[in-house]
Amino acid sequence: MGLLRRFLWPAIWLLVLLAFPLVWDTPFQQRLGTLVLLYAIAASAWNIVGGYAGQVSVGHVVFFGCGAYGALATYTHLGLPPIAGLPLGVAASVAIAAVVGVPTLRLSGHYFSMATIAVAELVRLVVANTEFLGAAVGLSGPTVPRSVLDLSFTSSLPYYYLFLAVLAGTLALTWRMENSRMGYYLRAIKDSERAARSLGAAASRYKMRAYLLSAALTAVAGSMYAIMIGFIDPESGLGILISVKILIMAALGGTGTLFGPLVGAAILVPLEEISNNVFGGGGAGLTFVVYGAVIMLLARFQPGGLLELLGRLRARAAGRGARRAA
Amino acid sequence: MTATLLQVIAGGLLLGALYALFASGLTLIWGMMNVVNFAHGDFVMLAMYTSFVVWKTLGLGPAASVPIAALVLATVGIVAYFALVRHVMRAPMIAQILATFGLALFLRYGVFWYFGANFLSLPDNLVGGTYDIWGIRLPAARLLAGAVALLVTAGLHLLLTRTMLGSRMLAVAEDEAAAQLMGIRPHRMQAVAWGLAAGAAGIAGALISTFFYISPTVGETLAIVAFVTVSLGGFGSVPGALVAGLLIGVIESLSAYWIGAVYKDIVTYSLFVAVLWLRPQGLMGKA
Amino acid sequence: MLLEGRDVTVAFGAFRAVDGASVGVREGEVLGLIGPNGAGKSTFFNCLTGDLTPTQGSVHFAGQDVTRLPPEDRAALGIARSFQVPLTFEGMSVLDNVMIGAFLRTAHTGEARERAGAVIERVGLAPFAHASARSLGTPGRKRLEIARALATEPKVLLLDEAMAGLTPTEVRQAIALVRAIHQSGITLVIVEHIMEVIVTLAERVVVFNQGREIANGTPAEVTSEPQVIEAYLGKRAARAMRRGA
Repeated sequence: MGLLRRFLWPAIWLLVLLAFPLVWDTPFQQRLGTLVLLYAIAASAWNIVGGYAGQVSVGHVVFFGCGAYGALATYTHLGLPPIAGLPLGVAASVAIAAVVGVPTLRLSGHYFSMATIAVAELVRLVVANTEFLGAAVGLSGPTVPRSVLDLSFTSSLPYYYLFLAVLAGTLALTWRMENSRMGYYLRAIKDSERAARSLGAAASRYKMRAYLLSAALTAVAGSMYAIMIGFIDPESGLGILISVKILIMAALGGTGTLFGPLVGAAILVPLEEISNNVFGGGGAGLTFVVYGAVIMLLARFQPGGLLELLGRLRARAAGRGARRAA
Repeated sequence: MTATLLQVIAGGLLLGALYALFASGLTLIWGMMNVVNFAHGDFVMLAMYTSFVVWKTLGLGPAASVPIAALVLATVGIVAYFALVRHVMRAPMIAQILATFGLALFLRYGVFWYFGANFLSLPDNLVGGTYDIWGIRLPAARLLAGAVALLVTAGLHLLLTRTMLGSRMLAVAEDEAAAQLMGIRPHRMQAVAWGLAAGAAGIAGALISTFFYISPTVGETLAIVAFVTVSLGGFGSVPGALVAGLLIGVIESLSAYWIGAVYKDIVTYSLFVAVLWLRPQGLMGKA
Repeated sequence: MLLEGRDVTVAFGAFRAVDGASVGVREGEVLGLIGPNGAGKSTFFNCLTGDLTPTQGSVHFAGQDVTRLPPEDRAALGIARSFQVPLTFEGMSVLDNVMIGAFLRTAHTGEARERAGAVIERVGLAPFAHASARSLGTPGRKRLEIARALATEPKVLLLDEAMAGLTPTEVRQAIALVRAIHQSGITLVIVEHIMEVIVTLAERVVVFNQGREIANGTPAEVTSEPQVIEAYLGKRAARAMRRGA
């Protein structure tokens, strides 16, 4: 029974994820699934610093943008496949994370949050005024794939499996971190930084590590996005609303939980696509009004996110069942 | 110095007085409750729209819109405190940041949805005329806005340091439990702080709207300006916010004049990063 | 001296919480720090652990100047502490709490769990190993803090009012635990309000008053000094002292 439970449910979920685009196989559904996975990667990456380390970044789009611009700038200026620019995007992300993190992660978390939003805007403004990065017009990827390395496909299906693999890698990394010394230390630091430090946990160093890892993985998500869409401009690559989406998906599903960000993405991406289809362009404003309201309600009533709520309800139901049996 | 340069600096000081005014609100709440209000810029934005509605429906200028915006925003601040902020103050920091950040989005896109994304502006002649002081030409709207902002900021400082209400608020900031034992109701004082902070943002917004475009996203830029001001001035300090606000106003004006208007925000935001690296405790803070 | 503060001054503005105090603990010793509220003993204690940096003076551990070292680096050298108001990790189980301490000496999760289990056994928390730290009462939390600190394998353990808020029975149990820790070879510094505890445990006592050390000696010597009795002890405590001696 224990063994069955331990392996059966993960196996079923994995099967669902693998079979999803084959069962729901219209282009719209496949694209939807692909976007869910893409945002799940970004939100899971955010979760490492925002959830596990408890440092709320409200400017994570800057890393997403680094990855996206890294890929397309490499294509535009060097003629290499966009994927070759991924390491560049990761390196830029890590550098920016260091600039933000080193001075702020020693201070109260508010400084960190303010700095993340300011630096994200700073980078957006700089990019929007830099000809080399396409300025306000943006950069494009290959219109016609030159080889399979360009990863330019008309169907969403290949991207779906690519993103699924990246997401699996991200979650595996997160899971390993969660169960290692770093994961334990981060939980302790979030609970009481002073006590954790007295026991030898170098708080700012571990928060920094989480931030760097998170930044690097978010850059990967950005590269993936740019490779799939084949176009990036300051709004789609560095706009504050992407930070908002990443953050709200993780918060809705449950910060500091392994699968919370995936759950959040699986709920919010379809909702947004549907609301865009129903309301057209005018729905964009309304979507974010709803996002704002959802974030406030979460903060007020359920800061632990949906997975925590689910766990609590299940525990309560189990408690009732046990009482009835007794 | 040329007259032009003097004029740029004077313009910067007048703008800086406004920055100081709405940053005082942010610093007041931060200093008192250790909460950063990410919706503060959007309070200013809401005040700008209030001012627009006052002109559109009543045909009135700042003499009416400033007090109305102050009242409207003070109400918004107090409601936000009782409905939202009060409940997350003891929660983990992530809940606090999410709460005010969610409020920011809600206000920003509520306005976006209702008024649309188009830039609005008040007629130029609402506060017409230009004054010539020692060869420096200053538009009346900016002169009025700067002067009122300075007065209100000074008033806020006096209120906090010289009145009974101010000492009660400081008592709550120092030690909530002790203040309670002295018969002060912390929630009431904190609500007052939110009312004052949002009211200050309201006055600033109504003043800015007389010479600046109005758009739903203007609050984001203003919020970052307020962050820079507060971190430069040292958190919790109204005089610090005043000095930092004036300084940032001048730096922005000079960089707009020397390198170009699009780069002025880049300079301000870079300044923020520099402050964090060099003097995270702010200019006025203790080392 | 194993751990020592030399001419330590901590000033908050014009107020000197600690004013030129020089106090050290020898290896294998049990040192008690006492004094009335606000005497500066806790402030001095926090300078030893690295939670505060002295305005003037220096802190030395095993011959090394550690004045500028942050708490985490001091923990690595072998300095561990408990907190006056317990700072247990509320969201974690008792075992996980202790594992945080054990991770200082091993990066391996399984090994940290094993070592933490052994420490939990030693301090008598084994029945609660998998309970959440939140479910413990004050005595349990204080014990958990000691367990956590022991898991870092310290050379010196600093206890900040580890007995405050306990019933007499609980105090006796806690004293037995602290004795056992001392017998295992760990040097102890204890800040305590309860005189009985100091008298039974400490070999040497330093009395603080108004930021200065006003007496230094065995419990019997210290408590017979008139200025100590005047400054701090008062009649009731002085009687308790005579009974204890």
